[in-house]
Amino acid sequence: MENVEKKLREEAKRLLSEKKVDVVVGYEAGTLPLTATPCFITTPEETERLVWNPFCVQNLGKFVHDLLNQHHEAQKRVKPEARRKKVVGVVTRGCTSRSLVIQLQEKQYEREEVVILGVPCGGYVDRKKLSALTGGEEIREGSLQDGRISARTWNGEHQAVLKELLADNCLTCRFNRPVLADIEMGEAATAAEAEREYEAVRAFENLPAEERWAYFEKEMAKCIRCCACRNVCPSCYCRICFAEQSQPQWIGIGSDPSDTQLFQLMRMYHMVGRCVDCGSCVAVCPMGVDLRKFLKKLDSDAFELFGHRAGVALEEPAPLGAYRENDREDFIFDPKSGA
Amino acid sequence: MEKVMTEKQSAKGWEPKIIAIVCNWCTYAGADLAGISRIQYPPNVRIVRVPCTGRINPFYILKALQEGADGVLVSGCHPGECHYITGNLTARRKFAALKRFLSYIGLEGDRTLFTWVSASEGDRFAQVVRGVTDAVRALGPAQKLVKRI
Ligand code: SF4
Ligand code: SF4
Ligand code: FES
Repeated sequence: MENVEKKLREEAKRLLSEKKVDVVVGYEAGTLPLTATPCFITTPEETERLVWNPFCVQNLGKFVHDLLNQHHEAQKRVKPEARRKKVVGVVTRGCTSRSLVIQLQEKQYEREEVVILGVPCGGYVDRKKLSALTGGEEIREGSLQDGRISARTWNGEHQAVLKELLADNCLTCRFNRPVLADIEMGEAATAAEAEREYEAVRAFENLPAEERWAYFEKEMAKCIRCCACRNVCPSCYCRICFAEQSQPQWIGIGSDPSDTQLFQLMRMYHMVGRCVDCGSCVAVCPMGVDLRKFLKKLDSDAFELFGHRAGVALEEPAPLGAYRENDREDFIFDPKSGA
Repeated sequence: MEKVMTEKQSAKGWEPKIIAIVCNWCTYAGADLAGISRIQYPPNVRIVRVPCTGRINPFYILKALQEGADGVLVSGCHPGECHYITGNLTARRKFAALKRFLSYIGLEGDRTLFTWVSASEGDRFAQVVRGVTDAVRALGPAQKLVKRI
């Protein structure tokens, strides 16, 4: 990691001083121990702030999209001859690269507008697992050395192997290595236990329908509709989201459980073949809603039905915008034989 | 006819309410043909006409369920016969994914049904409506995703 971090700073510094990019989006150390937070670096001197470690949680694709789109918007108010391109450098791990691919496929910006600084990824630490380790106590100091995490609280020291604290999505990650990169740093990471990717989905499918419904209802009842999961999602970028639309008003503003259920169902449904399983929504959810249980199903279906893996190849657009003549029809109702 | 219907409804207490979202060019014309040919089918469907199945936002289906439909039927032109060439081919993908997702969360599969009926298939339209009505009747009134207040 040290090497990667060093190389990353060098490359970022070079890009900024050669004016190849206007900003580098990356991670810096957080204000609390054992955290990192997204940052925007605009001068070569600041590149020392950049870090790359297992505390880098968020998918930075979101910021790339928003920065570039705000820029495009602002440029509309500038005389055509004075318009300029903005180029964003971005620290990119596997899932981030897939988000960038999706945004490129969906023509959100041009390929020249991003410089992808690919980094190898071994997964990030799930804050909820870390907090379980310390029994919810505040972490005063912490360190990560040789794959072991230690966290000191007021009442003592807690230790764990890094792998035990990794987020669920990281444990079964198939694309730890960026699928698209301009500069790649460090040794290419290898996939985690990708064959276990859909284990939870299969187990859930085997439950009786009533139990599945009860689980869905229970999880959705936790949701306070803060929309943090949507806001953090790099695939969620509509200017006007259905959740806030008032004509028609899709989602009622009251507290009826069905409104929350519909909000989540629809938001998740928008992710068919577009969810890269970066875990950002799960990490950001203040209520601990098990979103992944449902999103992973869509991911598995996109592969099963359409042979599609989200954001893996630039030439392969999201499956719901495409079709094949011989797509499966086994769900079509036949009045003679019943459904 | 009208009178027979209401009597039947009050006898059983509950009658399935089914929203049929159909494409203007095929299924709607098919329904029309069924009517012109005086083919009998259960009066449980309320038809919503759209230009093409490709026009159907999957949200319409969820919204119908939330607002009290016991079942939703979507029907359009057979693949290859869409007035807009590929509308129903992309729709087919959307519905395949939606239907699976809904059964994953535990919704009964027969609450949302998809099929193709062409303009010349008045017979088939009546058959579909019969089939769908029976299927939804067997499930009973919708309980899930329904708005209570
Ligand atoms: S939830 Fe859907 S509509 Fe809203 S921002 Fe995401 S993709 Fe767009
Ligand atoms: S972040 Fe959690 S609580 Fe907030 S809207 Fe999403 S699922 Fe609901
Ligand atoms: S016009 Fe009938 S499905 Fe497209």
